[in-house]
Amino acid sequence: MTSASDRPDDGIGERLRELDAPDAPPTDDRMDRMFADMKAECDKSDRTVTGFLRSRSTMARRLIVLTVFAALAVIGWFVFPLVGDEARTAPWTASLVTFCILLVLAMFMVTRPVHLPALPSWLSMCLACVAIGATVLAAFWPHPAAQAATQDHTGGAMAGACMGVGLLLGVPVYALLRLVDRGNAMGSLVAAAAAGLAGNFVLKAHCSVPGTSHELLGHASVALVFVVGLGLVHRVTQKPS
Amino acid sequence: MATRPPSSGPTDEQLMDAYIDGDDAAFRALFERYAPILLRLTRRHLRDDELAEEIVQQTFFRLHGARNDFRRGSKLRPWVMTIAMNLVREHWRRTKRRKMTSLEVDTRAAPEADFMPLELRQRSELLHVALEKLPTSQREVVELHWFQERPYAEVAKIVGTSEGAVRVRAHRAYATLKQLLVSEIRGDE
Repeated sequence: MTSASDRPDDGIGERLRELDAPDAPPTDDRMDRMFADMKAECDKSDRTVTGFLRSRSTMARRLIVLTVFAALAVIGWFVFPLVGDEARTAPWTASLVTFCILLVLAMFMVTRPVHLPALPSWLSMCLACVAIGATVLAAFWPHPAAQAATQDHTGGAMAGACMGVGLLLGVPVYALLRLVDRGNAMGSLVAAAAAGLAGNFVLKAHCSVPGTSHELLGHASVALVFVVGLGLVHRVTQKPS
Repeated sequence: MATRPPSSGPTDEQLMDAYIDGDDAAFRALFERYAPILLRLTRRHLRDDELAEEIVQQTFFRLHGARNDFRRGSKLRPWVMTIAMNLVREHWRRTKRRKMTSLEVDTRAAPEADFMPLELRQRSELLHVALEKLPTSQREVVELHWFQERPYAEVAKIVGTSEGAVRVRAHRAYATLKQLLVSEIRGDE
């Protein structure tokens, strides 16, 4: 309990006590109704996959997400051809590592337990901005220009294809993170940033089309579309309080 | 309402443990213990009975979802308070602004209006409005420290900052409240 010396005395203490004057106690009927509604909601949630996943412990939820991420990454890495040896430069590796770190960070934010104080919303916005910034920055570390000159590609069409693939790959990541999110504020934005990063990771690892313009239009745009698009959708569909 | 001594029945933590083990009656008992406290807390913040009820239900819904994170030996009260405060904060973030911004007396919004004498109601209203003028971070501290009578260390845990920062916020909040209500306290009205 708070010690008396901690609390304000004189006038303000008295006024606070007045404000704390007991109001009408909730009636039994009201409590019964509130409990019944809430319990029904809990039972309904328990019967769904979402409810099942969300009620796992935080450790279990994180393990589930990491396992799915790792499985997808390993399958993709070995099933689809990586970029050529000449393109596997230090910036390429640095980009992939950065995307991975940001992805894990996003996963930790989304799966944060609800009994801990919520993270400030600026942190989520910060992560979304850093995610977009990282994908843009990665576009300025393209394959060597000499290789680009030897490639015959139609930049626009290829950028469109990459963007489509990136968006497609990001959807399951977004869905998975939403499934394990117990209702963190801005969880949707963070999941969208993670989806954009996942799409970019795959594109960076496998896309052999070189050029900054291609990467900006086809790769970095994926993160932007996810963050801005899903951000808008979330805002529009958010239940008014 | 703190963790109950064994002589007056099971403690909150024992009830929570029982609930995790599948005892629905324990969940009901926890609801009966905490719902009235949370209702008062949320009503003071939101000044809307319906919304307060919704937040209390959401708090228990989230507690239910997070039950597998509860570790034996942990205290339940900070858990419940943190979940509720997070929900209130989220509500403010969504609505962006407080409904009342002036020091006008508006007794219609006071949920306890019917149960107080007129003078007390008006003074209570003034204080409500003054509380609403505080930044959310300070208001949360006043709520938990004064109204919920939680020690600074626990308040710090609930709002996610250091004890020193909580003490500073409380000091500033009480000073601001005093300043806002100085004429009323002196009886200059």
